[in-house]
Order: sequence, then structure tokens, then C-alpha cells
Amino acid sequence: MIDKLHEKVKSLLEEKQVELVIGWGKGSLPLTATPVFIKDTKDVDQLIFDHTCRNNLTMYLTKDKKSLGKIHDKIAIIVKGCDSRSVVLYAVENQIKRENVVIIGVPCSGIIEKKKISELTNDMEVLSTQIEGDHIIIKGRKEEFKFKLTEILSDSCLQCRYPDAIEYDHFIGEPRGEIDINDEYSVVEKFQEKSSKERWEAVKEEYSKCIRCYACRNVCPSCYCNECFVDGNDPQWIGKTPEVTDSIIFHLIRNLHIAGRCVDCGSCVSACPVDIDLRLMNKKVEKEVKERFNYVAGIDINEKPAMASFCEHEKQDFILD
Amino acid sequence: MIEIKKKQFGDFIKNLMETYRVFAPTKDGKKSSFSEIKKADEIVDVHTTKSAKSVFFPQAEVLFNYSENEIEVPNLEQKPIALWGIHSCDTKGLLSLDKVFKNAHQLPNNKMYEDPYWNKKYAESLIFTLACNEPLTTCFCNWFESGPFDKTGADIFVVDNGESFLLEAISDKGQTFFIQSGFDQEGEHQHAVFSLKKKAESMMEEKQDISSVFETLNEIQEKEFWEEITQKCINCGACTFVCPTCHCFDVSDEGKHQKGKRIRVWDSCMFGIFTEEASGHNPRGLSYQRVQQRIMHKFNYFYDNYEEHLCSGCGRCIRVCPTNLDIREIVKKIIKRKNNV
Repeated sequence: MIDKLHEKVKSLLEEKQVELVIGWGKGSLPLTATPVFIKDTKDVDQLIFDHTCRNNLTMYLTKDKKSLGKIHDKIAIIVKGCDSRSVVLYAVENQIKRENVVIIGVPCSGIIEKKKISELTNDMEVLSTQIEGDHIIIKGRKEEFKFKLTEILSDSCLQCRYPDAIEYDHFIGEPRGEIDINDEYSVVEKFQEKSSKERWEAVKEEYSKCIRCYACRNVCPSCYCNECFVDGNDPQWIGKTPEVTDSIIFHLIRNLHIAGRCVDCGSCVSACPVDIDLRLMNKKVEKEVKERFNYVAGIDINEKPAMASFCEHEKQDFILD
Repeated sequence: MIEIKKKQFGDFIKNLMETYRVFAPTKDGKKSSFSEIKKADEIVDVHTTKSAKSVFFPQAEVLFNYSENEIEVPNLEQKPIALWGIHSCDTKGLLSLDKVFKNAHQLPNNKMYEDPYWNKKYAESLIFTLACNEPLTTCFCNWFESGPFDKTGADIFVVDNGESFLLEAISDKGQTFFIQSGFDQEGEHQHAVFSLKKKAESMMEEKQDISSVFETLNEIQEKEFWEEITQKCINCGACTFVCPTCHCFDVSDEGKHQKGKRIRVWDSCMFGIFTEEASGHNPRGLSYQRVQQRIMHKFNYFYDNYEEHLCSGCGRCIRVCPTNLDIREIVKKIIKRKNNV
């Protein structure tokens, strides 16, 4: 598959259909791919695609001052299922012109969550890895572990309905097809069983870890505001310290801002340096939007986003009690 | 050098607590950081997620409380701090921060301004640097004339030989502590320490000669160089917040009406509003300009002032970066550029 990817990228560059290709390359650490920006056909061989290609690269199309999608007229981007949903999101939210971006879709069989490996190996430093069928062997300095891939893939990937790129101009590889998932909100349901006091305590405990580095926001493809509310200082909306009261406001407002817009790519979960469980609340708002408005982000490029449209028959019980 | 058997360690920490507030690496959820401990068994022996800088330079620190007619400075007269289990890289980080906070700048009366919040805490502290027996592959302290067994900045240097801790007094403060504790410097452990040191050093990747970096950075003028090497950075602040040497801070007031507090909070050159001016103009408005600032501060501006790099090679930024922007690779590209010219 990787040869076909290289071929396709090479031909796009040679035929001057695009001037830049964003993809993944080998990173400097085990189990870590890194974003690469290919402009020259001689660099095409840097491109990889495997279980380590974590980043949702579409963020580079819009992000504050990077805005590669606006700087370059002709750009190609390699996308997994979740990433392709972000491109759809950008198109429906008028952040990119769909025709300006050449989308190279790939089928994804899940991304490894390094945090799960840390937990399972008692924070062992991984020196090398080897995939054998549906297992992975992980070697450290003194120890060696063997896990089923399903044990160490991201929760987002384990509950992913759309592993193949949904929107694309070129598809490379064998599509896996839509996956029938019936437990995608299991974390939310489990959490809802708790009492409100327990839920509040759990939320406070989780967000008290936050160091306000904003890695979650900055890797998030859906967070592309030119000025984030936490950065405004006239007026200043929230305090700047890592006090839990402020951190909760940051996270919960971010949750609401990405309601009906989160594609559950898992980037924020991986990026968090202090391992906050960021997915729980994202799934909660995703579930609400799905149930109330029958809307799932990034699936249909012709559908208006849930938060930008209004139908009379929509449930309004949250407004009028 | 004296020996403390591990089973006596609890008592040692207990005694230490009579004179000091003891800070050490502890578990912080799934991660680890330095915090004040009450018992020796809270201490973990890991490469901590967060650096030790927060012990003396917390992420948020109240400078003073204010009300309509009064300003009240928090009580800085506290029990001194003993910091146990800090690796050489973090100890060196504290030395860098001390240069900044102790002699922050010259006042009009030609005296040097000393930051009272940092200075008292750090000056009175007792630093127990713990030799790093197992460096990680992301560690690169050996680039900075240092190593896993570097004693620079330590008051007392500690080696864990498995069964016990071997303590060596390094500074005058360390010597005084030894005398007060009735410790005898004599003891034959040099051989064991030497072999642990060799083993740790052999685990490290090859060192880089970074002597050309300062000069090369003086010469790099074109933005394309910076744009290219920083392209994948997404400008979150993870690297700067886990860094033992990054020390930029912002000052803000929190309060209502005429009552509140003035605090200083860690800032990050990665953030879009880092140097945004009141007019709205931002001299570092673009992503690459802020990464350039970070690299220039670490390997050029600070070196210009103090003849040392503002990096101790702890590798934390490499471990937390969401896009795998590896600072070692940036420095190597700077070196390579020098060689190509």
C-alpha cells in the first residue's frame, strides 16, 4: 500500500496538481510518527502510514497563523477516517474550499495509544516494537511485553465507525467498510450511572491535573478560532492560573464549542501531557447532539452543521422546561 | 560519603522534616511531579513528567494581596526546603533559574534586583541531587558538559546502589548539614559509585558538539530556515511547561472591585498572545517566530548573558511534544548548517 501512496503523491507533485503534501513520516521516538510537509518528489519516500500515525493533520489547514490551506492554492493531505471527517467539517464551516484540497484517503486499522502501553508496562521506556499479526511485541531495556493490538489502540479507534476516509479524491489501500459499533457511548453511559456528587468530584479531580498548556486545543482540528476565549484579555474571561475552577471552565467551554463538531480523532487525549481523560465529555456532547439533532460531525459534506441550522420540530426541552 | 540503608530511609526523611519542608518526586495521578511529602514512602524513583522548577517557582504564585487601602505580601518566612531525588539535569535547571531571579537586572542605584519570592526559598534550600542510574533515550544532558552523575549545583550528592543511598556532601551547606547530622564523610564506596556512573553514561546516546550553535544562531537571518524547521509545531505550551529552565511569566490581577491578588503565572513563548502588545501589534505573531524565540532564548540570548545554554538536556520536551518536534534535531540542523556554510 505504501508504494501506491508514494506513487500517487509523486504524480500529484510531478503533474503540479499540488505544491505541498501533508502526511506522516517516521518520528524520532518509537511508536511516534511525525507530520511531514513534502514539496519535492525526492522526499516522497519519507511518507509512512501505520499504527503510529496519530496526528490529525487537517489542523494544519486552518490553525492560527499556519493556515496552510489558505496560503497554498493547491495542497494535498493524507487522511484517515476521522481526519477526513475534519476536512468535511472545514468544508461545511467554510474554512476551506473543498476544490483547493486534494484529499488522499487511507483505510485505518487503529492508532496505538502510547499512554496505554505506559500504563500496562509500569512506565517502561519503549526501545523498539514489532508487529506480529494482531499482536505487538514491545521491548524495553530489561523487559519485553506482548500485547494484543486491541489492548493498546486508542479508545477512539476501538469505537470508530468510519475507519476509511469518507471524503477523498484518491483512495489508497483496501477499504475496511463501515464498522457496526454499538458501544460508542459506553464511557458516557457508565459515567451517567454515578450520582451527581460523584460526577462532580470526578470532573474536578480530572481537570485539576490541567497545566493549561493548551496542547488539547492546539492539536484539535475543530478548535480553529482566531482568538480563543482563554486568550482574550479585554475582558479577561477566565483566570490564568491552573486553579481547578478556571481549568474546568476552559475544558467545559471547549467541550461546548466543539459540540456537533468533534470527530473523536483522539488527538487531544494523546497530546495531553498530564493524561486528562478528555474524551468522556467530548463523547457526552457528541451523544447529545446525535440524539437531539440526529447529526454526526463530518459525515455529509452537503448537510448544514447542527449548530448552524434550526428546525421547528427539534426538541427544545432544554430551553423551555 | 556516608551510607543510609533503605530501611533507615524513613527515619532519615523524618529527621529531615524537623528542619525542612521536604519535596520529592511523587505520583501525580498517572504522572509524576515534585511535591511536599509527609512520609518517605510517598517518594517514587522515576523520570518525573514535570520538572522540579515548580518547587521554587510555582506555576501560579501570589505576589501580594490588595484591598482598598492595604497591600499584604505573603509571608516569605517559611521553613526552608529540602529537595530530595532531583536529577542532575533539574539541578542544573535550578542554577540557570537562579541566575535569572537572583541577579535579575541592575537597578538605578547599581544594585542588583533580587527576586524575593525565588531567592529566599532557593538560597536556604538543601538540594539532594540523585544520580541518574538509568537515563532515558531522550536524555541528552551529556551535550551540555554534564552527565547522569553530574554533581554541579548539588548540596549533597546521592547515589542509589540498590540497598542503600550513598551521600556525599558537596557544598558548604551540605558539609554543614553533615556536621549537624553527625555524619562522617569517611567510607569506602567510590568503587561502586564509579561502576554505576560508567554504566549510566554508557546508556546515553552519543554526545553532540554544540560549541558552534551560539555563533551559528547569530548568523541565521533568513526566515525560511526557521519556517522549515518549525513547520510542524502547533504552538501549545507543553514543552515550556515541563521544561526545567523555561521561566517566562505573566503577571495578572485576580479579584473583584477593590480586593484581590496579584499573581505571576507561567507564560509560554509558544502562545499566540505571548508578546502581543496593547495596540494589537505582535512582533511574534507567526508560529515560527515564537519557536525561533524559544530556540534563540535557549541557545543564543541566554548564552550571550551567562555563557551557558538554557537547556539541561532533560528531554522532557521531546517526550511530551504532540507532533514530535525534537529539540535535538533542531540543534543538529543548526550545527549542520554551520558545517555546510
